[in-house]
This record gives sequence, structure tokens and C-alpha cells, in this order.
Amino acid sequence: MPIAGPVEALLGVTLLGAFLVFLAPDEYAGKLATAVSLVPVAVSVWMYSVFDGAGNALLGGTLAFESDLGWVSLGRYDLAWQVGLDGISMPLLLLATVLTTLALVSSWTPIDERESQFYGLMLLMEASLIGVFTALDFFLWLVFWEAVLIPMYFLIGVWGGPRRKYAAIKFFVYTNVATLVMFVGFMALVFGLGDSISTFGMAEIAQALREGGNLSTLAGLAPADLRLVAFTLMFAGFAVKVPVFPVHTWLPDAHVEAPTPVSVMLAGVLLKMGTYALLRFNFTMLRETAEANAGIIVAFGVLSVIYGAMLALAQQDLKRIVAYSSISSMGYVILGLVAFTPHGFGGATFQMIAHGLISGLMFMTVGVIYNETHTRMVGDISGIADRMPWAVGIFVAAAFGYMGLPFMAGFAAEYLIFQGAFASTVIPAAPLVTAVGMFGIVVVAGYLLWAMQRTLFGEYSLATDYDVSRAPVHDVAPLVVLLALVIVLGVRPGLVYRMIQDAVNPLLHGGVVLW
Amino acid sequence: MAIESQYYLLLSAAIFCIGVYGILTRQNALLFLMSVELMLNAANINLVAFSFYHGNLTGQVFSLFTMALAAAEVAVGIGIVLVLYRNFEDIDVTKAATMRW
Amino acid sequence: MAGAFDFVPAIAALPLLAFVIALFAGQYMPKRGAEAGIAATAGSLILSIWTALTVAGMTGSETFYNENLYTWVAGVADSAVTLRLGVLVDPLTALMLVIVSLIALLVHVFSLGYMNDEGETGLPRYYAGLGLFTASMLAFVFSNNILMAFMFFELVGLCSYLLIGFWFREDGPPSAAKKAFLVTRFGDYFFLIGVVGIFATFGTGLFAPVEAASGTMESFPHMAEMAIEESETFFGYGAQTWMTILGLLVLGGVVGKSAQFPLHTWLPDAMEGPTPVSALIHAATMVAAGVYLVARMYGFYALSPQALAVIALIGGFTALFAATMGVVKQELKQVLAYSTISQYGYMMLALGAGGYVAAVFHLTTHAIFKALLFLGAGSVIIAMHHNENMWDMGGLKDKMPVTYWTFLSGSLALAGIVPFAGFWSKDEVLFEALIHGVGTEGTLGAMFLLAYAMGLLAVFFTGFYTFRMVYLTFHGNARTDVARDPEPVRWNVKAPLAVLGIGAATVGLVNMAPVEKLTGLHIDFLHQWLDGPEEGGWPDALSTDLHHYEELLHNVPHVDPAYPIGGEQTTLIVSAALSLGLALGGVLLARSLYGVDEPVEHTDKLGGAKALLTHNYYQDESQVWLAQGVTVPLARAADKFDQGVVDGVVNGVSSVSLFTGSRFRRIQSGVVSNYAALMTLSLVLLLVAFVVLGGVA
Repeated sequence: MPIAGPVEALLGVTLLGAFLVFLAPDEYAGKLATAVSLVPVAVSVWMYSVFDGAGNALLGGTLAFESDLGWVSLGRYDLAWQVGLDGISMPLLLLATVLTTLALVSSWTPIDERESQFYGLMLLMEASLIGVFTALDFFLWLVFWEAVLIPMYFLIGVWGGPRRKYAAIKFFVYTNVATLVMFVGFMALVFGLGDSISTFGMAEIAQALREGGNLSTLAGLAPADLRLVAFTLMFAGFAVKVPVFPVHTWLPDAHVEAPTPVSVMLAGVLLKMGTYALLRFNFTMLRETAEANAGIIVAFGVLSVIYGAMLALAQQDLKRIVAYSSISSMGYVILGLVAFTPHGFGGATFQMIAHGLISGLMFMTVGVIYNETHTRMVGDISGIADRMPWAVGIFVAAAFGYMGLPFMAGFAAEYLIFQGAFASTVIPAAPLVTAVGMFGIVVVAGYLLWAMQRTLFGEYSLATDYDVSRAPVHDVAPLVVLLALVIVLGVRPGLVYRMIQDAVNPLLHGGVVLW
Repeated sequence: MAIESQYYLLLSAAIFCIGVYGILTRQNALLFLMSVELMLNAANINLVAFSFYHGNLTGQVFSLFTMALAAAEVAVGIGIVLVLYRNFEDIDVTKAATMRW
Repeated sequence: MAGAFDFVPAIAALPLLAFVIALFAGQYMPKRGAEAGIAATAGSLILSIWTALTVAGMTGSETFYNENLYTWVAGVADSAVTLRLGVLVDPLTALMLVIVSLIALLVHVFSLGYMNDEGETGLPRYYAGLGLFTASMLAFVFSNNILMAFMFFELVGLCSYLLIGFWFREDGPPSAAKKAFLVTRFGDYFFLIGVVGIFATFGTGLFAPVEAASGTMESFPHMAEMAIEESETFFGYGAQTWMTILGLLVLGGVVGKSAQFPLHTWLPDAMEGPTPVSALIHAATMVAAGVYLVARMYGFYALSPQALAVIALIGGFTALFAATMGVVKQELKQVLAYSTISQYGYMMLALGAGGYVAAVFHLTTHAIFKALLFLGAGSVIIAMHHNENMWDMGGLKDKMPVTYWTFLSGSLALAGIVPFAGFWSKDEVLFEALIHGVGTEGTLGAMFLLAYAMGLLAVFFTGFYTFRMVYLTFHGNARTDVARDPEPVRWNVKAPLAVLGIGAATVGLVNMAPVEKLTGLHIDFLHQWLDGPEEGGWPDALSTDLHHYEELLHNVPHVDPAYPIGGEQTTLIVSAALSLGLALGGVLLARSLYGVDEPVEHTDKLGGAKALLTHNYYQDESQVWLAQGVTVPLARAADKFDQGVVDGVVNGVSSVSLFTGSRFRRIQSGVVSNYAALMTLSLVLLLVAFVVLGGVA
């Protein structure tokens, strides 16, 4: 087994790059960071092209780029440096690396103080994200999971808007407490499993749980109850990250205060950590509990969809609109996951990618307009299409992508989720529930079209006194790349959907019947 | 005829209490230092007394260490007092409360 | 040897290419991208005609085509459906392809006059939009499954949005564009549920069976037919009920796109867009998409009596309802918009009442004469310097004869005056509705008759508003200076008008069913075209032929024809005479009221109905109220709830922590003596506790 595989190389390069950028002078930091971040992009694209994984990482599938090294022993548990990729994590890894590079380019204009620290922290965050999507040992994963928060806290708290401190602390404390809740739930499972596991390897734990019968009574809780308690705690913990109604309120604040590139990362990748973890932990390890409680879980999903969309309708700040619509879109992921059908799981995972790209695109476009107008309030801008035709064109395209226009990635994802959820045998009254959730596609069209009508079109006027001109090329270039990716994935979802399906199908086989 | 151990202990307790009383009531930093010395030496008496009682020299050796430590502590303490005086033009410990909430 | 069918995807690909060229290179071209669009649509037209000829059997090769060409999403697990894109070519497709590409070409040419010559800016965007629209519409037409149809259905909606909002610097167009997309999106929501449901039920969305290497892939209408025969149950519903539910869900999209009641409100607003766009999208093609979809999957709708009744009633009601609103409109394009809604109502009426051929026929003739009327209106609008108010016109007849005569041809067709196109098709629609209404037993027949009555009544209004429009615009004395000296139009306006003007007069000849029935001459070409050969050929392979549909209508919902007045011929003559008489009555009333030198408004005679009609029965108001009076306040309330309650709890937790902390930190007084006292006190307490508890065990 090689000591350093591609995953280690990715992490090493990104961390080293972060260190270099910290030391670099401010005026070169942006370009240097972008250049450095191209290496992970290249490596991950190469990894995608030679990807040879099969099956699900936790359920005995063949891992790509695996390495499994002893690390330390903790009591009777061996902790390992265990990383690897399957069809679920590979696309997410690509999303993280690509979106980071684009976010770095889009930082050139808006970030004009403490540049080297900013870009260093961005790269640090990228390294942590790479870790989250590749680690397969729980402790290792938890280290990366928590490590993401640190750069994010500073990125919001230092470079953010007027209420940045409030937003940063809220974000940090909220998600950190959530991790604690999740940790308690997971540890309950570990202790319940007792001697049947000897490591914190996620695969070992998942398989032990799915085989059933290994769970012992813990703290007076029978195995079935223990599963339920653990499931609830873990779901609550991850739900904050997703975020699911009613634990979503950190998100709009964080988005509004964060500088644009940070919003891009937050919506594009960080939210996917929550759904990724839900898929890996709740829906893989505790399949039966999820199935038995599908009615409640789907209610949270559908509620998030409709509620998030309704809130977006009431907002005046473009960034807040996109932030709330993220809640709505992530609700679809929950709907897809809980369906327990091939297209449900596949569509949910695909939606993580699609929404990552589209929400990133949306935030970047809002950012480009903000760079020129210095306002994001709907009432302050009107007829901006007159001055920034290409940026507005991309805004319109992105908005339609968000609304689920066919041949863009969002439609493929949403359609597959609906298809999966409609046919679900787990969700009670699946067709009806799916239909209710689908109403989100009408509301999303409502608020985006309305906002576009008021800001982009009509007679040109601007409340802030700035001279608006066309956006510079390096602002628009990342938008074009993202839009191209969204269209390519919408026309050819198989580029990633094939490996996703391969990895999610094992989730539907095996497992135990508890009730 | 040796003096019984409890007398040593009584003496030690008395000196310790005097030291505590000094710390609780005095405001002068130098008196603080003196009180601390008293408490320290009360402990020393205990060490020596038990060493004698058990016929074991370790306690006495330990008390030598404590004395050396006390000397060092006084040096640091006096230093602090000097800084205190420089900053507040007084060595009243209750006045140096600027770092609270 | 590559046949026509190998090039069918190119019919849509060419305009798509034109879209790309116009978008990126349009600004460097002398006509700002129109060249690409004209070349592409001309290519599409040629390929479409070639396809149609092949379908007609004139090239000697296979006369139909149905293949899956592209796997969009492969379902790997056995229970996962695979989603494909494919091409279905049968006579219906071929007919529609020719119509769409023909009108697209004419509209492109017309745009040279309407947009380029008028000095508009942003033309690459305009031609890109037209190109993308044409591509999507053509791809929608040859879709071989319902998901692909939905995807392109949405894309044409996008193009409609972009083109309605072309003049984005004004306030009206962006608002109208938003409304158009939103209202149709509301319909598409149901359509999408229907699509998902069809795939979940049957595992396929094919309109017609595909012969693949692995065996025959059945179509969903056929599987539905089998399921009803075998009385299967789906999702807890009987097969018949479930098919009705699915059918009605898909119908949601149809109602939205074809601007049927109650989702018709977007179409009149859509007139904010450039007139050529109105002609192409909001009259001839995109609005037809809904009706076309019902025709495309008619084998499915024919299985559900309830769905048929709903379609017929919506159609009949919309036909009448929209026609009455058209009576009081002041603006040329508004009259045409309401007449479009009304005419699509007729097509829906025909489809619902079992008149498949009649619907397709009316679709064809309407595409021609309504495109003509819109382009004619465009010509008038150029002449009037973009003033659309008919009361400012008058007397244009002598100043723009080409426009006048072609417009008159279209108007006669619209009003349904023999022998213009609209007469033949509208008459057939009403005739079919009548005989099926009489022949079908029970509620369904009654519904058909009710729908027929509304459709018949609408004929009178149609004749009236059409000729009110003609008289006000072209006859009498010129009422303004502009009308006295209108701006001349060039060949690029006149040529499309001439082509369509001749079409409007003659296209009815393709299916003179009444003449056929009276004389026995086999001249009902469209009927034969859609019926196919008796043996073999495409009807056997695809089951999308008229004969099959009639069989289904007879077997499942028991829709049968009967002739109330004497035999078939007498009924036919009475029916035709009735509709022609009503139409002429409308025309004559219009002539007596408005066919004078100095016409005046007569709307006040309507009394209270005037306000009702000019406000479109308060439909807009009620929908705007639904959006702004209900949804937005609800959203605001949700926002308040979110900020106050949900986030309030979060902030509350933090406030409690902060408050407790602020109290506890008082202990840190900074006075050393206090700390010492606390320490001493704690030590004493600890000692006392030890003493009381008796030390550590």
C-alpha cells in the first residue's frame, strides 16, 4: 500500500499552498492562491478520469485511491488514517476543488485588505473540505469536519459585512453545538456496538449496524430504542449543517454578512457536508430507523422546501433570497434521500452537485453586480441590464437554472428526486407528499422572476451613487465556467450520475428488519 | 523528653491562621508578601515536625527546598510590588482592579 | 443511404446553431443575426417538407420513424427508470413540423421589416431568442416521449419569457414576461407531476412503441389501455381513475401553455412583446404546444371519459369566454390575443369531444390565419408608428392594400366565412362536438352538448369582434394624422403576408369533409393523412392513427356519433348553416355598428357588462390578488415568524447565556482580598463538609 496516494497529495499541496499564501505579500496572494488551487483541480480531474471505484465505500465497495494506515490507539479502538473515494464522494471532491478555484478568482475584486490571510484561509478550508469528503475513519473525518469551521469563522468574521461578528459567532456556535449533539449520538452507537467493532472505521461500523443484532442495551435503552435515539441526535446534528427547518436561521445571517466568495463556498460546498453526512451516517448506517420514520423525516424535507421558498419570497436582499432558496433546494435532498429508491438517492446526491454549482453561480453573479453597484437591495437597483448586459444575461441563466430549466443540472437533479420520491414505498402517501414538495418549483419561479423584474429590468436607476460599468473579465470568467458546467451536467447527467448510482444502489440492499 | 507533635501542629496552625488573617485584612502588598511568608513557614514547621516524628529526613530536606522557593517567590513578589507601585503610585492591592470585566 | 428521418434531429439543430451564432456573432453581422435565423429556418422547412413527403410515402422508404437516440439518464438498478430522448415521426409530427418551420421562416423574414428597419437595438438577442425558440418548439414536436416533451415545453416557455421581455428597459414587458412564465409554470407544475406519475406508473413515457434491438418497448397509452382492461390498481386507485388523474395532471400544462381558462391571463399581457414574436409564439406555435400535446397522447386521453369531459368543457367555455372579452378591446393586438385564446378553446373542444381530426385541422388553419393576422397587425403597427389603438386608425385600406387584402383574408378565415380556411375547420369542430354529444350517452354526452352550445355561441362573437377590428382599422375615415399618412412597409413585410394570405384562403381545402360527405369525392386529405393506410404501415407500428383513436373512444368512454336531424348529410348542412349564419350575423352587426365613415363606441350599450368585459371578468385582478394579496403577505408572515419565533429562540438561547455570564462575572471583582476571602471560605466549607460527612470512606 502506498504511503502517499493522490488524496494525501491533494491535502499536502493545499495545506502547503495555504502556508505559502499566508507568507506571501498581499498583492500577489490572490494570484498565487489561484495558481496553487489549480493543482487540486488538476489532480481531482485526473482522479475522476481514472476513477475505478465500485459500490459504496461503507458497504464493502471497492474504493478508489484508498490508503489505510495505523494512526493511534484510543483505549481498545484503533484510529486509522483511512481515506478513499467512491461514487458519492468523487463528485463532491470535484465540486469542492473546482468551486474553490472559481471562488478564489471571484475574490480578486471584492477582497482588498489582509489578502494573504484571506486566501490562505480559503485554501485551508479547501484542505479541510477535501478531508471531509475523503476520510473514512470517524475520528479523522471529525477532525476535518470541525477544521472547516475555523477558517470559515474568520472568513466571515474578518471580511464580512456590518454584522459580521454576530453572524460568525452564530455560525460557529450553532454548528459546533450541532456537532456535539451528533457526536453524542454516534458515540452511543459505538458504545452500544461494544466488542463487535475494534476501530472507528465508518465502513466497519456501518456493516456491523446493518448486520444487526450486535447492538447491546446501553443506559437502559434497548437496541431498537438506541438506534432511534442515535438517529435522532445525528439527524439533529447534521440538519443544522444542511440546514433543515427549523434549525436554519444561522444560514441567512452567515450568507448576508459573508463576502461573496465565502458565500459561494458556504452554499456551494459547506451545506453539502450536512447532506453528505446524513447520507453516510443516518441513511447508510441506520437504514431501518430511517425507513420506519420516513414520514417524519420527509415532513422536515417538504417543510424546508416550501417554507424556505416562502421566506425567499419575502426578502429584499438578493443574497438573502438566494440564501433562503438554498434551504428550499436542500429540502429536496432530504426528500430524495428518504425515498429509499435508486433515483431518490441518486437524485439527492446529484442535487448536491447541481445545487453546489448553481447556488455558487447565483451568489457569484449577485457578487459581480454588487461589486459595481455596492448594493444588493432589490429596491435600490433597477434596470441594471442596461449597463451590465453579459453579467445580467448570466444572472438570468442562473436564475432559470435555479428554477429547474431542462438541460441544466438543477432540472436533472430535481426530476430524479421527484421520480424517486413518487415511487417510494417508504414515504407514506408518496405521490401526494412528492406533489406537495414539487410546489416549490412554482414558488422559486415566483420569487426569482419577481426579483429579476425589479432589479435587472425596467428603466435604469441606482440608489447608491456609483458609476456602473461592465464587470471586468476576471469577474465574469468564473461565471461562464460555472454556467458551462451547469449546462454540461444538465445535458449529460451521466458524467457523474453513473458513478453516483453505482455507489448508492448498495444502500437499497441488505440491512435488517427491526420491527 | 521531646515536645509532643501536637504542639508543633498547634504552633503551625496558629502561624498559618495569622498569615491568612493578614491576607484577608491587609491592603498593603508588602504585608501581603509577609503574610504569605508566614503561611509558607507554617507549612515548613509541619514538614520538620513530621520529619522528626517519623525519624525520616525527607521532610526536612523538603523544607529546605521550600525556603529556597520562598526566597525566589519573594524576589518575584517584590518585583510585582514595584511594578504595582509604578503603575498605580501605591501598593494598595485593592486599587489594582482595572482588569476586571 | 440516409433517408429524411436521419435528418430529423437537424430540423431542431439548425435553429439551435442559429441561436448560438446570433448570440455570439450577431453583432458583427449586417442584419444582426437574422441571416443565421433565416438560413436555419429555411433549412428546417426544407427538411420538414422532405420528412413530410417521406411520411406520405413519396420517397419510397419507410413512412414512419420512432427511435430512442440519446440516453439522458440511465437507470442502473432494475427498479430505476431510464430516461431517454428520441424522435417520433408520424403524420401528425410531419404536419406540425412543416407548420412550425414555415411560420418561423416567415416570421424571421418579417422581423427584418419590423425590427431591423425600425432601428431596434439588441437584435442579436432577439434573433438568438427566435432561434432557440424555433429549435425547442421543433424538438418538442418530434419528441417521442413525454419527458422530452416536457423538457422542450419548458424551454419554449423560457424563450417566450425572453422574447416578451425583449424591451426590458420599459416597465410593461418585464412584468408581462414574468406573468407569462409564472402562470404557465403553475400549469407545468401539474404537468411535471403527471410526467413523474406516468414514469412511475408505466416505467416509460413513450408516446408510441419503439422497436429496439432488445425487443419492443411499449408506449404508455397502450399500457394504460391494457391496465384498464385488466382492472389493475395503481397507488390505491383503480386503473381508470388513475389514468384520469394522470391525464388531468398533464392537462394542467396544456391549459397553461394553450392559454385556456383559468390560466389564460398571461396571453393578452404577452402582447407586450414584439409583434413578430406574438405571431410566432403567442399565436401559431407555442400556444399550440398544449393542444398538440393532447393530440400527441390522444390514445391516453381517449381512455378517460372524465378527462375528455373536462377538456371539452374547458375548451367550449374558453372559446365563448375569451370571445366576449375580445368584443370590447381597443387595441389591435389585444383583440387578436383574445381571439387566439378563443380559437384554442375550439381545438380543446374538438379534442375533448372526440374530434381528433377536427382539432388538428383547426390547429393547422389557425396557425396560418392567426400568424397572418398578427403579421398584418405588425404591418399596421409599423405604419402607425407603434400606436396600437384602433380608434386612432381608420381608412388604412387604400394606403396599404397588400396588408388590407391579406388581413381581410385572415379575418374571413377567423370569422369562419366560407370558403376561407377557418370555416372548414371550425365547422368540423362544431359538427364533431354536436354528433358526439348527441351520440354519447349519459353525463359525458350532456357535457359535450353544453360545450358545443358555448362553442356555437362563440361563433357569433368571433364574427363580430373580427369585423369590428377590420372596420375600425381599415375602413371609414382616417381618425389621426398618422393614419392619414402611414409609414410605408417594405417587401420583407409584404412577402410573408402574401404567402400567409393565400394560405388562409386556401388551406381549408385540405380537408373539406362536408363536401366529401355531400358529394362522395375523397377530398378529405387531412383525414386520410391522419388515418393512414388500412393495412400495415405506421398505424400498425405506432397506434397513433385516427382509426385506433376512434376505436378507443368507442370502447372505453363509449363516445359515438349520432345524427339528430335526419341523416348525416342533413345534420351536416344544418350544422354548417347554423355556424355560418351566426358568423355572418356577427359580421353584419359589426358592419352596421362600425362599418361607417365615423364610427363611435357602442360599448356603453352593454351597461354593467362593459366594466365586466373590459376588466376581463376580473380574472387578472383575482390572480394578481392571489399572488400579491395572499402569497406575498403569507410570505411576509412566514418571514416574521422566522425572524421572531424560530430565530428568536436561537437568539434567546444566546441571550440567556450572555445574561447568566454577565451576572456571574461580577464575582471577578479584581480585588485580591475578595479572592482570598472566597478561597478561605471555600476551604473552610470543604473542611466542614468533610467533618460532617465523616471524611472520605
